[in-house]
Amino acid sequence: MTNPSIAIELPDKKLPGDLAMWFFILAELTVFAIFFIGFSVSEQLNAEMFSQGKAQLHQTAGLINTIALITSSFFVAIALTKIHKAQAKQAVLLLLTAKAFAIIYISVKIWEYLSLFEQGITIETNTFFTLYFLITAFHLMHVLLGMVILAFIAYSAWHGKYQNNEISGFEAGTSYWHMVDLLWIILFPLIYVI
Amino acid sequence: MRKGNVVKNNKTVNMAAATKSWLLLIALSVIAIYLPEFVDHKSFYTIAALVIVVIKGQQIVDIFMELKNAPKFWRLLFLSYITLLPLIISVIYLT
Repeated sequence: MTNPSIAIELPDKKLPGDLAMWFFILAELTVFAIFFIGFSVSEQLNAEMFSQGKAQLHQTAGLINTIALITSSFFVAIALTKIHKAQAKQAVLLLLTAKAFAIIYISVKIWEYLSLFEQGITIETNTFFTLYFLITAFHLMHVLLGMVILAFIAYSAWHGKYQNNEISGFEAGTSYWHMVDLLWIILFPLIYVI
Repeated sequence: MRKGNVVKNNKTVNMAAATKSWLLLIALSVIAIYLPEFVDHKSFYTIAALVIVVIKGQQIVDIFMELKNAPKFWRLLFLSYITLLPLIISVIYLT
């Protein structure tokens, strides 16, 4: 008599990646929350200055960067589905595509900074631009760190590290990248739109 | 585990769900930037922009971060962040 296969539904409540990475992400989100609340309070105290400052920002550049980061995050999410299916090479190609969109983000952000510098606007111009440069540059540093992490998991995937469903390292890297995206979707309307 | 058992634990994000989220996120981003042109009163477009942030955040948390199938505590923690922060900001802006 053959032993019939039994499908067991394991509890699906599994936190992707490493617990340590989620605590790190929480810490990062908390720091940015303080920045965002500080920016909002400063705007209420200096409404005219902030209104003029926002008018000097390039909204289309902000939108391009939003689309670049969201699209980058999308490719990272798809890369994870490929790793789940043990299609590592395809995952690497998707990660490289994600990094290409991140490079678009960085290029536009540098262009924005240079355009402001050409107008004589610096971090010392006023409170609005102090906060603008601090918050966006801090976020840019996270994008750069995220790119390093994506490069690391792409390298590891290419060399066959994520096999037999041992993909927590890959998931941790992708979660960090989505955090960068999550922060930008708050930062963008706060600084550029409202 | 008994021989012959099949482990079934594959509730991960699929490509269709990720694609839908991506398109929604792009559409909402475009709407957000043009809000001031369609809504005269700053209070209204401030609230609308922050509601859009909540919707976008939920998509990223649930679909991209795959927290939809994570332990409830972690999902609620991140959904709380993406809801409470815009709420606090809107209170600051509207008072």
